[in-house]
Amino acid sequence: MDSPHLTATLEREARPVRRPVRRTRLWDLLLALPAAWIVVFFVSSMVIVVLLSFGRTQQDGQPVFGHRLTNYDALWDEVYLRLFLRSLTYAVATTLVCALIAYPVAYVIALYGGRFKNLLVAAIVVPFFASYLIRMYAWSAMLGDDGVVNSVIRKAHLGGGVSFLNTPYAVVGGLVYGYVVYMILPVYAALERMDRSLVEAGKDLYHSPLRTFWSVTLPATRAGLFGGMLLVFLPALGDFVSAQLLGGPDTYMIGNLIQQQFLEGQNWPLGSAMTVAMMIGLTVLMVGYLRATTTRRREA
Amino acid sequence: MTGLRRRTLLRSAALGAAAATAGCAYIPSDQQVHATLKRSAKAKVDGDLVYFNWADYLDPSVLKGFEKEYGVKIIQSNFDSMEGMYAKLQAGNQYDIVFPIAKWVVKLRQEGRLRAIDHAQLSNADQVFYSGSYFNDPWYDRGSRASVPFTVYKTGIAWRTDRVSAMTGSWRDLWNTEATKHIFTLDDQDEALAMGALLLGYNVNTAKPKELDAITKLLISQKKYLRAYSSDDVNDMARGDAWIHHMWSGDFMYLRTDIAKYQKLYDFEAPKEGVPINSDAYCIPADAPHPGTAMLFIDWLLRPENAIKNIDYLCYPFPVKDAVAHFEELAKDVPACNVDVTDLENPNVFRLLSTDAVHRRTAAWTDIKAS
Repeated sequence: MDSPHLTATLEREARPVRRPVRRTRLWDLLLALPAAWIVVFFVSSMVIVVLLSFGRTQQDGQPVFGHRLTNYDALWDEVYLRLFLRSLTYAVATTLVCALIAYPVAYVIALYGGRFKNLLVAAIVVPFFASYLIRMYAWSAMLGDDGVVNSVIRKAHLGGGVSFLNTPYAVVGGLVYGYVVYMILPVYAALERMDRSLVEAGKDLYHSPLRTFWSVTLPATRAGLFGGMLLVFLPALGDFVSAQLLGGPDTYMIGNLIQQQFLEGQNWPLGSAMTVAMMIGLTVLMVGYLRATTTRRREA
Repeated sequence: MTGLRRRTLLRSAALGAAAATAGCAYIPSDQQVHATLKRSAKAKVDGDLVYFNWADYLDPSVLKGFEKEYGVKIIQSNFDSMEGMYAKLQAGNQYDIVFPIAKWVVKLRQEGRLRAIDHAQLSNADQVFYSGSYFNDPWYDRGSRASVPFTVYKTGIAWRTDRVSAMTGSWRDLWNTEATKHIFTLDDQDEALAMGALLLGYNVNTAKPKELDAITKLLISQKKYLRAYSSDDVNDMARGDAWIHHMWSGDFMYLRTDIAKYQKLYDFEAPKEGVPINSDAYCIPADAPHPGTAMLFIDWLLRPENAIKNIDYLCYPFPVKDAVAHFEELAKDVPACNVDVTDLENPNVFRLLSTDAVHRRTAAWTDIKAS
């Protein structure tokens, strides 16, 4: 049902315009510093985690490298699988809710923001300069049983109050609040970049705004949306702060489990094995996701 | 916003930094570290004081007073967990004074990471090391040769008197059906397992598989009454989410004296099965760059008027002789919050355990939280 001509235009539009980059020595130098930073602090620590996952803990509590698989054997535990599935559910729910919030917000700002566009984007980004942890605490202070929201509910005689905190919904809510900006920005960027005349052409072609949105706007911004989903899903899956501060007795997540191994548990090798296993699992998921989304794009 | 203590805040965020710094601190073999105790320094100014403590864990005016009195600066940094503190020391960071929990004193001393503290150098030593004082020979440091006692505290149960009518004085109160879904257990492996152990009549440090299984079963049975596991006890109570909270005595005193609008709404009990009693200490690391200033600082903290200021700020009891009465006065309506000298000689202190024991306990705690 897509008109081939229009789709071809879309494809061309979606591709970023390549500017010729003149490689200079200064440019290389500028790149060297961040590259070194990544190697020293990111790659090397990753290597340590991988090596440590084959190690063990000495009787005096020191972790040492080794070449044993016991830590990986220990992962075949039904408890860990359950935690992984729970975290996956929360992360998927978070990603979907974020998409439902982020798209309309980005759409309104990009298409109707006018000269307030930058101001509106800043208004969304600025609160995220404050620590995630502090913002979580702020929520818990507001949503407590005797907090601001509940006292309004009671004063308005709308009932005896609601226990918001310490539920799975609170955990997902915390994750959504924590990461939604990572979805808004790429979607906004995609909408900004989109050629408006396409929408007008779509309106001529399809008549209804809904169909225009579905067949023109959405496909044109798909890259931004998929990118945003990835940026939200990954940190949400490994998050431990939301479950710790807003969760209840049954919302323990994989991030909390790994944190526990490194701190109270004093079992870095096991924690490392969990981390590596999770990274492998995520890589498989991501590759599948990227292949699925790019294939669909090629088919479109 | 309710009183948010940075200690709790940081404790809950812990992780990242601690794990990252600890990455460099890493002994590649099974070598045993021999415990030697470096000779005590003389109490005299030998530089600015590099201070490493929980955040907000001493009255700032006491620190300012020290700077003024001796003409030195206090360079502050904070840790967010004992594991984080240990990792920094192990990584070779140098501090003049640290504030470990008793069982970590054992570990640091065993590994030769501490410097001796000569009591004769401290003009206020008799405030804690008087004749008959428990701290002349505490369990964690023979002869108190490398540590000076800082605070003592117990773990008990706090409750809202307007929400809960019947408390029985037992740890079973954490199963009280009157407060279903408003009960909190501390999100702390040692404290939670100790609570279960005390109810079942085991030692708080148990690592026996059978006993851990029984504790696991018991604590899982509690989950249907629980609102959450949380160590943010002060805020959980202040927000009204908690009607019954497994709680540290000092945090309770802080809630009642500094946060609560109506003090009578909050009460505290020390359950009859026994309660964990623990203590913090002042220590000087073996590689402290300015141990002389650190000695003066410890002496400064032992001055009764400074201990009283710190008690008012922290709401934890200090075993400083002439300040004891001050805490008793502060806690007169809730005597269960006080820690008596006789309380200190009991088996319910958290001991340094072997790695296998810690791993078994962690596995039990994971099963409980993940179930």
